[in-house]
Order: sequence, then C-alpha cells, then structure tokens
Amino acid sequence: MSKFRRTLRQTFTVIRRDFTATVFTPTFLLFLLAPLIFLTFSVAGGIGASQITDSSADKLRMVVIAPPAQSATIQQVDRQLRTLFPKRGDEAPPPLVIVAPDANPAAQARGMFDADAFEAAAVLHGPLDKPEILYAARGWGEAQYLAQIAEQTLRVQRAGLGPAPLSTPTRTAVTREQASFSGKGQVASAGVFGIFFLTLFLSGQAVGTMAEERSNKVIEVLAAAVPLESVFFGKLIAMFAVAVLFLAFWATLIVNGAKLLPEGAMRLFADAAPAVGPVAFPLLFVGYFTMAYMLLGAMFLSLGAQTNTQRELQMLSLPITFFQMGMFGLALAGTATPGSWVAFIAEAFPFSSPFAMIGRAGNSSAIWPHLVALAWQALWVAITVTVGARLFRRGVLKSGNPPFWKRRRAAIDTTVN
Amino acid sequence: MAVSASGLVKRFGARRVVDGVDIAVPEGMVYGVLGPNGAGKTTTLRMLLGIIEPDGGARTLLGHDNPRDASDSVGYLPEERGLYPGMKCREAIAFMGALRGLPWAVGRKRAVDLMEAAGLGHAADDKIRKLSKGMAQLVQLLGSVVHEPKLLVLDEPFSGLDPVNQERLEKLIRAQRDRGATILFSTHVMAHAERLCDRLSIIAGGKVRFEGTVTDARATLPFKAHYTPHHDAAGAGALLPTDAEREGEGWRFTMPSEGIEALLVKLIDAGHGISGLSIERPGLHDAFVRIVGQQALEDAA
Repeated sequence: MSKFRRTLRQTFTVIRRDFTATVFTPTFLLFLLAPLIFLTFSVAGGIGASQITDSSADKLRMVVIAPPAQSATIQQVDRQLRTLFPKRGDEAPPPLVIVAPDANPAAQARGMFDADAFEAAAVLHGPLDKPEILYAARGWGEAQYLAQIAEQTLRVQRAGLGPAPLSTPTRTAVTREQASFSGKGQVASAGVFGIFFLTLFLSGQAVGTMAEERSNKVIEVLAAAVPLESVFFGKLIAMFAVAVLFLAFWATLIVNGAKLLPEGAMRLFADAAPAVGPVAFPLLFVGYFTMAYMLLGAMFLSLGAQTNTQRELQMLSLPITFFQMGMFGLALAGTATPGSWVAFIAEAFPFSSPFAMIGRAGNSSAIWPHLVALAWQALWVAITVTVGARLFRRGVLKSGNPPFWKRRRAAIDTTVN
Repeated sequence: MAVSASGLVKRFGARRVVDGVDIAVPEGMVYGVLGPNGAGKTTTLRMLLGIIEPDGGARTLLGHDNPRDASDSVGYLPEERGLYPGMKCREAIAFMGALRGLPWAVGRKRAVDLMEAAGLGHAADDKIRKLSKGMAQLVQLLGSVVHEPKLLVLDEPFSGLDPVNQERLEKLIRAQRDRGATILFSTHVMAHAERLCDRLSIIAGGKVRFEGTVTDARATLPFKAHYTPHHDAAGAGALLPTDAEREGEGWRFTMPSEGIEALLVKLIDAGHGISGLSIERPGLHDAFVRIVGQQALEDAA
C-alpha cells in the first residue's frame, strides 16, 4: 500500500471513530437541539415584548383640534398621506383623532397628553396656516406628519378640490438586469455574517478534541500507529462532519419552514442578488464555510492540544472568541470598502480570508480570485495542521528536533566542552 | 533482524536519557529490555517505534529505516495504557486493528475470538469503563495483536496485573511467539524475563550494560554453595572462603574457582562433616542487581 493511501486510510479511521463517538451519544442530541432552546426563549421573549409594545402602540394617537367643518378634508388628506406607508409594520403613523376645539384650545391640546383613553404622540391646534404642534418624547415623526396634514388640508381647501384623486398612476414592477449596489452589498454582508456565526458557534468545539486522547492516554496508541498529522486532520474532519450534520438538519427545517411564511415576508431581500450569480454564490458559501471552519478549527485544535489541564482549555475560549471577532471585523471592513487596501489585507490574511472572500463574491462578479483564494486557504489549513502536529510532537510527546536557537546553544556548549 | 538500533541517543533538556543504545532483535524471538526505573527503556522503545525521534543514532524496524513504514506490521502496548472508556471492548480492539490496516468487520470478528480465547468472551459487548484495570489491560493487549503483527512491542506489560492475569499474559505472549511473531518487551520484574526471554538487554543509566541470553546473564555470576556442617558450625567458618555468610545452621559462599571437592575434604578431615550441601545457580535477579549495582557504583565514581 502506498504511503498516501495508508495515510488516507488512517485518517479515515480517526474520522470514523471521532464522528461515531460524537454523534451516537445523548449529548449530541442536546447539541443538535440547542438552537431550539435559543429559539424557544427568543420567541417567548419576543411575544412578551411585542405584547407590551402592541398594547402601548394600540393606544398611540395623533390628535388634530379643528372645527367640524374641516374634519372631512383632514380625514381625506390623512387617507392620501397614509398611502406612502406600508399597511403593516412600524412605519405607519398611529391613527388620527379629530377633536372639536373648546374655549381654550391650547390648554385642551396640553390636556390631551394626560388623557386616559389614549396616548397622544402629537397634537395640532390653532389655524391651519399657523398651527401649533405639541409632541411627546419620540413624537417628532408624528409632529411632522401633522404638519403635512395641515399643509395639504390648506392646499385642498384653497384649490377647492374634491375628494377624488387627480392622478391615477399605473404601477409596474421591474426586475433589474444587473444586481443593484444595495442588493450586492446586502448579500455580501449576509454572507460574511453567515459564515462568521456558523464558525463562531461550531469551530470552537475543535479546541478540546485532543483533550480526550490526552486524558485517556490513548494518544500514545494513536501516535505509535498513525502520523500525528493524520490524527489532527482526522479529528478536524470528524468535527466538521458533525457540524455539517448539524447544519443539514437545521437547513432542512429552515427551508421547509420558510415555505410557511406569508407571501411578501421575504420582500426585504427581493433586491438581494450576489455579483457572482445565484448558483456560484451558494457554492462559494459552502467552500468558504468549509475553509473558515478548517482554518480556525485547525488553529484551535492545535492550541487546545498544547494545554495540560481543563482549566487551561477553558481559559482559551475567550481569546478564541475575540480572535474570531477580530477576523470578522476585518472581513466586514474589507467588504464595506471593496478594492481598498483593507479589503486586500482581509482577503489575503488566511484566517480572515474566507469571510472577506464571501463578501467579495457578493460585490464582484470575477470568479478566478475565488479559485486562488480557496487554494490559498487550503494551503494554510495544511500548514496550520502540520505546525500544530509538530508543536504537539515537540511539546507534548517530547520529540523532534529542538528549535533552532536551542540547537545552536547545544552546538556552542559542545564546542566549549 | 526484526529490530536493530545503533548508537541511539535521546536528550530531555541537558539530560541524556538514552546514551548510545545498541539493540539487535532477531526475528521470531522473545527479547527483553530490562532495567531499573528511569533506565531509559520506555524512551528506547518509543524511539524504535518512531513515536519520538532520536537525537542521534539509527534504527530499523522490520527492515524499514522509517518505523512509520512498518507500522501496519507492528503491535504496541504502551506503558501508560489508554483506551476510550465509552467504547465497547470488541469495538476498541477492532479500532486498534483498523489503525494498523485491519478492516473493521474482520477486526470485530477477531476481537470476539481473541476475547473468548483469553477468557473474556463474556465482556465483548461491555464498555471499557466497566472493566477492571487488569481486564482493560488485557483488552488493550488483544487490540495490539488483533492484526497479527510481525513485531509486538510491550512496555511493562505485567505491571498492575494480578498473578492470574500475569499468567494469562504470559500465555498470550507465548502464543504470539508460536505464531511466528517477534516480541520485544520491557520489564523490571526478572521472573517474567527469566521465563519468557530468548535474549535480553539490561539497560541502566541510558546505556546497555549487558546483552545476551538469560543463561549468559546468569553466567556473569559464580555459583553459590550452601553448606550445613554436622558438627561445630561456627568453627567450620574458618575453613570456608572469605565471603562465607552464616545462614541459620549453615553457611553460604561463592563456589571456589577450582571446585568444591578439595574444600569438602578439608571440612571432613577437620571433623565438621556434611549435614547438607546444595549448589545454587545464580538467578537473573542476582545478575541484574550486580550489573545495575556496578553501573551505580561507576556513576557514583
């Protein structure tokens, strides 16, 4: 059997052991369903928060204190202005209440803010050509709206126009031939965020995978039978396979769940279109996620393998998270300024490269840089694993040549002796 | 040669743990590496297997300069035993075989057969964490032979085993030798080495102090005589060699180089008579103590 085939076989043996040892345990079920805990609490918290918000939003009103003769025109103007806002969502202004003025409209307006029946966001009183608008904290938008109500009502009155609209437009939805700048930017940012969160949640697990072998003393058996590089690669790939299983499970749920969403729920992303095209982008996303996982996982695995105690291992989690955040920040800065030197550094630095390059895939249509980047990142995966295995051999197994400065000192000592 | 090494050197910091070790293990032989604690036995075995790289010297394993190239034909039981506690016994054995190129399915089948033969058949589906230390050690040994290696390297295989399991292990080692495998094992318990080894090396202070057969090792010491006089045991001492030591009613002394006959004649003529006489061959234990003790004296000097 050739050396390569033997190494491959040994790596697969390690993968198989680690994968089955991880997946066929009750803990894996907990790991797989962990997002449910997050979702359950998020949904419960969201429902509670929205109930509180809704109950206060339901009571929110804009008030116009005006003679009954003006009511019909004001209501007509309000109806026309409301067509500028979507029917659902937070952008629409609260309902308008028209109240007849009493003897002291200024005092009446102030009194509206203390009313029990509703919560006034802004109140308009006085003549429409010189109205007084009072508004509460966070009621500036409503005050602007009331100002427009006054302006448009006055215009309608002076022009002597009826309720029928003067203009009857024809609306036609157009699909762009090319991705818009905002659409590309949206996809680029989503890609960077996506890979960052996936690696943040999943690759950190690699840090403790050698701890089992060290505590069980199995490492001696493995090191005697298999090259350490195979052990490292095997463990890394097994953890990646576990991550892929996790993602496949949730992706299936999300894709099927998305079908249940009401029509138009994805309208926010209607303009989102990656520059490399809708087929290449998901493929590149998978490729860069793989590389990001492998690169960061290899580094974390190598660092974790050097630790002697569980406490040392736990101490690593904070610097690891910050390192990932740093790579994410660098990649995001590069994505926001395509073609800049920051973007170049983010794309070239191996550990931020996958994040930055998925951003580039969103912004730029050229494919060849991605082939170069994937090869570059794969090379760094190999380098990181090799360096990690050597450090392990030297630091933990006490093997291999000493570092060059120690070799030099030993040579000097020998010469002196 | 199944294993050969010349001038192996390993330093840990400034200390030379292994200092120019030469070993040659012919094929099909049970070869012991004996030495006191800290002699460098484990480090030597680890270098031979390629787990750690030597700082000097050369070694070949089953004809390969790089021990890794022979790894599929080697079985190894390390001094620090290690198994995955969550694995079933037969899975653990099959896994160790798979690391050495044995297909999992074959490994599982052989594991059951091996466990049956070793009297552990009832535990084939038990998880490692349920086993006693001795049983786990035997399972690991079975894992190191499941792929039927040409060379079996055992580092302190008897440590931590009760007499019954030690007997089982000796039987297993003999079975491997009968299969044609070469066995290289380290120990500091002389009784096992005396019973099992065809040849042996005694390592002390990182150097080989003796190499040869058990008989050769024992021959480094003269025979001992145990003589019990019929009359006046105390007075007989004056006629005996200077190293004679009183032992109960008799004396123990080194056999004179010219033989014991002349001495006996003298003792009979002096009226001490012979109530008992035995000639003892020195054991491996005595040879080991002398060789290692000599090294300690040399180091002290």
